[in-house]
Amino acid sequence: MVSIKILGSGCANCKRLEALARKVAGDLGLEAEFEKVTNMDDIMKWPILSTPGLVVNGQVVSSGRIPSEAEVIAWLKQAA
Amino acid sequence: METILQYLGSLLWAGWTGLLDYLAAHVLLCLVPAFIIAGFMSSMIPKEAITRYLGPKASKWISYPAASLGGFILAVCSCTILPLFAGIWKRGAGLGPAITFLFVGPAINILAITYTGATIGMDIAVARLVLSIAFGIVIGLIMAWVFRKEEAQRTVDMAAQGVFDGRARVKPSVWVLFGLLIAVLIVGTLQIGLLTNVYARLTLPFEWGGGVARALAALNLTPQGALLIVMLVVIGVAAWKGFNDIFSGFNRWTYVAIAMIGLTILLAAPKEEVGSLVIGINGRLIGELILLAAVVYVSARSFTRDELGGWIWETWKFVKQIFPLLIVGVFAAGVVKVIIPETWVRSLAGQNTIGANLIGVLFGVFMYFPTLVEVPVARMFLDLGMARGPLLAYLLADPELSLQSILVLNGVMGRKKVTIYVGLVAVMSTLAGYLFGLLLVR
Repeated sequence: MVSIKILGSGCANCKRLEALARKVAGDLGLEAEFEKVTNMDDIMKWPILSTPGLVVNGQVVSSGRIPSEAEVIAWLKQAA
Repeated sequence: METILQYLGSLLWAGWTGLLDYLAAHVLLCLVPAFIIAGFMSSMIPKEAITRYLGPKASKWISYPAASLGGFILAVCSCTILPLFAGIWKRGAGLGPAITFLFVGPAINILAITYTGATIGMDIAVARLVLSIAFGIVIGLIMAWVFRKEEAQRTVDMAAQGVFDGRARVKPSVWVLFGLLIAVLIVGTLQIGLLTNVYARLTLPFEWGGGVARALAALNLTPQGALLIVMLVVIGVAAWKGFNDIFSGFNRWTYVAIAMIGLTILLAAPKEEVGSLVIGINGRLIGELILLAAVVYVSARSFTRDELGGWIWETWKFVKQIFPLLIVGVFAAGVVKVIIPETWVRSLAGQNTIGANLIGVLFGVFMYFPTLVEVPVARMFLDLGMARGPLLAYLLADPELSLQSILVLNGVMGRKKVTIYVGLVAVMSTLAGYLFGLLLVR
């Protein structure tokens, strides 16, 4: 079970990132638990400076940009 | 009854002519590249390039200028401003630079400055840029000083988390392309002889039907203006089909849209001789032709499809977010201009006095306009006889302060800090407008 968190207040890039993460998890056939963190205070508890942030198993793997699909595949494979 | 209809008709007409001004060639020459550059900066220039100067160990001499520069590079969208603000304040260089960043961000991004320059005047645009940076730093320093005790405490609490240590490598071709894009913008907007001189004349090889020309003239349109509006609609449709799904790859519409955008810049560049079919080939057109070719060459050669796709996505996101609001705002400003009696504006803010500047600031606080719409609103006030000092005061205060942003900040900073911040911004903007008005009149 991989836990994936999307940090972001709901702007276009956060939705884009969530869609990408869900697609990759689906393609890899991973059992993943998704959580969207939208509250600004909760977002700022993570060590990121700008949204969207992607957290895999409690580790921030990217922030402030939409990572490429290849990167997300690598992170999720490692986490599984 | 008839008079009411006539009145409504004149209101709609005013809105329409407002829109025409907005879609005029010189505005498009600045806005189209500005949107593209804004998208370029947010996709190609990593935030780490600037945030590493805003860490907890950065000295004041570096962190304040970096914070104001950060506004230029990072903050076009308000959804990146707040997290960064909180991050810089709580984990990085502290309250002062964070406030500087918050203040400077919305006022000096490339869209706001170029658009202000094209619709109102370069003097106001430059004053807005310089004064925003100066006052941003001053307000940041004052806030840091007022809350110095709290700040000393905070530095102790802060564990080195390493968020600010990230470094980014930006490949040289990014800077080359960035330079070229800025050049497209400058060549499109600068009013100098080299660019505006007409070097050759081209007579179009077809005849206008007299009816078409008359119909256009009745709508206050020139053939060039009409063509540009048609181009914008075509771009809109092509971009919708080609850009929305850019992450799943480039399709035919993507290329159509890109080609059309280039063509629009080229169509807007030449000088049109009123009432004839002669096109003046000026320096602007030649310059843009060369620059656009260079842009295409560099992007195709040194950037991957993924990178270009990210750039298109960010640009398209800004356009979708801002452009519709702008059109509505410009139309509404045109209508309101007819409704508000000129004497009101003249008597309240026609002279450059402290009171008039304060009114400009208060109006900016109580009215909330979405990103960039403050510019056509300012244009409207200028046409109605507002002095340039109060106008600048309004432009400085409006993007920083609105009832909405004050409420949001309350949640992040607490009431005490917000009160002081709002007070400082109001006083500084009033002063800035007043001084600007004084110097200008002299």
